[in-house]
Amino acid sequence: MKLMGRHKALMTIFFGLAVTLFFALAYPHHLHFQEQYQLFLFEGSYVREVLSVPGGFADLLGRFCTQFFLYARIGAVIIGVLLMVVQLMSARLVGWNRQYGLSFLPAALLWVFLLDENALLGGVWALILVMLAAWDIGRIANPMARSLVALVCAPLLYWMAGPVAFLFVLLVFLDEARRGTFVSRFLGVAVVVVGCVLPAVLPHFVSVSAARLWQGVHYTRYPDTFPMWLWLATGSVAVLFLLHLFVKRWHESEQRWVRPVVSALIAFVVVALGVRVKMNPRTEQVMAYDYMARNQQWNRILQTADRQMPDNPLMVTALNLALGMKGLMADNMFRYVQNGVEGLLPEFVSDPVSPLTTSEAYYQLGMINTAQRFVFEAQEAIPDYQKSGRCYKRLAETNLIVGNYPVARKYLSALSHTLFYRTWANETMKLLADDELVRSHPEYGRLRSSIVKEDYFYSDRDLSAMLGRLFLANRRNRLAFEYLEASYLLSKDIDSFVARFPLSESIGYPRFPLAFQEGLLLWWSREHTAQEQMPPGIDRPTFQRLNDFYTLTNRKAPLEQIEQRFGQTYWYYYFFVKDVKNYHTTPQDHHPSTS
Amino acid sequence: MPQQHHNLIYSFLFIIAVLLLASCGERVSNATSEASLPDIYPDYVDVTIPVGIAPLNFGMKSDDALLVDAVVADAKGHTLHGQGRETTDFDIDDWHKLVAQNVGDSLTVTVSAKFADGWHTYQPFHFYVSTDSIDYGLCYRLIEPGYEVWSKMGIYQRNLSTFEQTPLIENTQFEGCVNCHGFNRADPSRMSLHIRGAHGATLLLDEGRLTAYNTKTDQTLGFCVYPYWHPSGKYIAYSTNTTRQTFHIRHANRIEVFDAASDIQVYDVEKNQLIITPSLKTDSLYETFPVFSADGKTLYFSAAQALPPGSMQLDSVRYSLYSIDFDAESGTYGSTVRKVIDHGDSCSICFPRPSYDGRFLVYSVADYGQFSIWHHEADLWLLDLLTGERRPMVEVNSDDTESFHNWSSNSRWMVFSSRRDDGLFTRPYFTHIDADGHATKPFMLPQQNPRRYYRELFLSYNVPDFIRARVEFNNVKAVELINDDYRKPMGVVEK
Repeated sequence: MKLMGRHKALMTIFFGLAVTLFFALAYPHHLHFQEQYQLFLFEGSYVREVLSVPGGFADLLGRFCTQFFLYARIGAVIIGVLLMVVQLMSARLVGWNRQYGLSFLPAALLWVFLLDENALLGGVWALILVMLAAWDIGRIANPMARSLVALVCAPLLYWMAGPVAFLFVLLVFLDEARRGTFVSRFLGVAVVVVGCVLPAVLPHFVSVSAARLWQGVHYTRYPDTFPMWLWLATGSVAVLFLLHLFVKRWHESEQRWVRPVVSALIAFVVVALGVRVKMNPRTEQVMAYDYMARNQQWNRILQTADRQMPDNPLMVTALNLALGMKGLMADNMFRYVQNGVEGLLPEFVSDPVSPLTTSEAYYQLGMINTAQRFVFEAQEAIPDYQKSGRCYKRLAETNLIVGNYPVARKYLSALSHTLFYRTWANETMKLLADDELVRSHPEYGRLRSSIVKEDYFYSDRDLSAMLGRLFLANRRNRLAFEYLEASYLLSKDIDSFVARFPLSESIGYPRFPLAFQEGLLLWWSREHTAQEQMPPGIDRPTFQRLNDFYTLTNRKAPLEQIEQRFGQTYWYYYFFVKDVKNYHTTPQDHHPSTS
Repeated sequence: MPQQHHNLIYSFLFIIAVLLLASCGERVSNATSEASLPDIYPDYVDVTIPVGIAPLNFGMKSDDALLVDAVVADAKGHTLHGQGRETTDFDIDDWHKLVAQNVGDSLTVTVSAKFADGWHTYQPFHFYVSTDSIDYGLCYRLIEPGYEVWSKMGIYQRNLSTFEQTPLIENTQFEGCVNCHGFNRADPSRMSLHIRGAHGATLLLDEGRLTAYNTKTDQTLGFCVYPYWHPSGKYIAYSTNTTRQTFHIRHANRIEVFDAASDIQVYDVEKNQLIITPSLKTDSLYETFPVFSADGKTLYFSAAQALPPGSMQLDSVRYSLYSIDFDAESGTYGSTVRKVIDHGDSCSICFPRPSYDGRFLVYSVADYGQFSIWHHEADLWLLDLLTGERRPMVEVNSDDTESFHNWSSNSRWMVFSSRRDDGLFTRPYFTHIDADGHATKPFMLPQQNPRRYYRELFLSYNVPDFIRARVEFNNVKAVELINDDYRKPMGVVEK
């Protein structure tokens, strides 16, 4: 038996480790994603607001834990520990017997639940609170006291944990039924109170839709989404408890290893299948790019792209920004997949994800009002109406850069009531006292000097014109110039590209960057032959490669062959990449003066 | 009794005594006398207040203040003391009693603040207690000052005698946005409320009965917005607008909200008919913000020359104030549209709001356009309907936006929204306007702890309007109606 106990402990530890390692190594950016869509404030009004709806206490605990997800490894440990707690509580509820492996089932289902980036930790806490309450109440020996406590606990638990509290009522009811005491009749009242009266009456008192009072007020970020895996986990506890109470053979001892092994296998299969079905590595990759852009990890973005070509619009946006920030865009942008102007500055979409990555690009370009709008709108689009530490930080920065200090102070003041943004907020607050400090700040000062002098309206149909004005406002803004020229290249408007090229003088390129050479040469080749002298500034190998490209294409070589040899050139993009979304630019659009 | 128990009791009594002393606050001692007025937040120095208003708690503007202490005294020797780290936190009952005892008189406020170097006592200022009462409460929308996407928002009512705020409806109960709301002269039993989004509707509250309407018809431009009730309660004037937004790249105004088209129509509540007329449905003019005069015989509105199709010369659009006669008996318009005020090429007029006694009309003036809320230069102007004189309300205007405004039911108080607090988040301010049109220094909506409350509030107050009593609004029924597909259609008649 002692040996068995040791094995149980090892199984639990192994499970916890598996969960932790999974989230730390395979899913870290899902945790960053979770953190960036909330702002845990150590403020009374915030806590009161969270607690003011059913499930608020579990939600508060969940939010408290989620703030640590800023550091994914800590977040992974937290999830590992919580799921271990759920497993141990399950084991305690169903008894420490040979079906120990089955006690992993609820925790395994929660693991699957948490694979969804919109599943909230409050759901896990809700189940823990309910199981804790159900276990504690079973220890009260006096039936009358037990039933009275259950009557009080049921609505209280509903308020603390939300509709998962139905499980509490069910577990207590089953337990009382097994005990065969008359007081189970009293518990029927608790069932009615929690199951029917509260969710039916509460819409009159709380601003929550009736459906959410039944399925969960805040177990997922999308409030009207049914949290199926959470309810499966909740239901599995009830099923296990039922089996434990009423299946007689449950407690009978048979062969020493068969049942533990089989039950553990069942749990393992559930985890394996669930993870396989629900895990989304592609989403993780997109989140990784956004995380790196947020933290200005430009080299890491380039290294990641070199390992695996990005193929998602947001990844391309982050990659192009990294290329620009490292001064490599004009040389290397066509080494990677490009999806048109959309890959530079995607069109605004009303969701909480896409505008964040796009805003990073606008921010670095110096289009501060636009960056601010995208961040603000991303925050507004958070479906559960939470605020975002990342957004507040950026909003403080944008207001600081444009000199709107009272608003910047307001955001900084809120961030100073957080655990992990406090230090930054307090440091940044010092800048508010002196305009000169902002001007001399390496990032804020640079961005302030990039802001256009004359106002005009944003138009996503006229991106090139906006970038042109931006560059003309600060001719040392190399990123703006390269985005401007890239926008022409990507929209295949090489006439405009060439027309704006003289503006590069103020950038002072030591030599023509490769992608620009390819564009220039393509334009030149339209009216010249290979026998003519190549234009100045073009490298001989580039010139030769264009000749090779034309030779191959004139020969009607297979596309694969062309792609293999020239897939990383602008020429291949120009002639063979179709269906790119170039909503921004049309060649006929008016452009800023080059003078 | 063992000695141990005695010690416990003494310790307990000691703690109670400390707590009692602490609750009495710290006595102002050895204070340095300052020659200046205190720099307090909100700025309540020398404001005029109505009887029944919630305590005007305030704190020192400086974060360095460790304590703020205020003594409010009247000429008869009554005093009220408040002290706290962030706010004066006056006792609400004592406050009301003191204010009620001094109607038509003034209260003297002596403020002391404790800093690291000790106490400082400032020059006293006054609260002037008006003889004119104010309505029961205020109704407004709370929303983030955003662009196109909305987050949590709601319509709320606030009891002006206390700090109690309760939601009428919040969009956490359904999918959508709560928008234009309007009462009939602060009457809480009649309300028009527009819902935008997938479940768009116009809700009409009429003596407790809620109905959801589809205000879009084949013969009108779109949904009915910017409601204004006829004094008889039989009609509601609406505009219908094709509203667009664009965004400034650099300008501090951030957003430009403009109309690509707009018309005006009056809804006959009894006949369930929109009354339209070609005079208010022209392509060459953008007509918007309709309001009835106090006697209900005139319909005022803002209008501007329409831009040529495709033009984005928004800074050339300037609204003037117009009027047209309206006959409530027959539900017909007059034949002539009159220009009441034209600020020329320099200004644009929006949000006209006549006082209910028929004497004044207050409107917002911005450099151009019709949405002064996003214009930092926007100010309030007062038009004397008796003399025709108009003037900027310098008593209430600030360097920042002054925009939407409404009159109390007795026409002696006005509430308006302003961004003066931080340049972004609008807050409601109240000013007293006497029979001659003189306005007093405005005061911000009181809160229990205003510094903390407004610092932590990332929402703007939209469309503040007075209510004479608590609005009885069945939000469960409202949500049921909103989520239901049925919308009562409106008929249209041209007169």
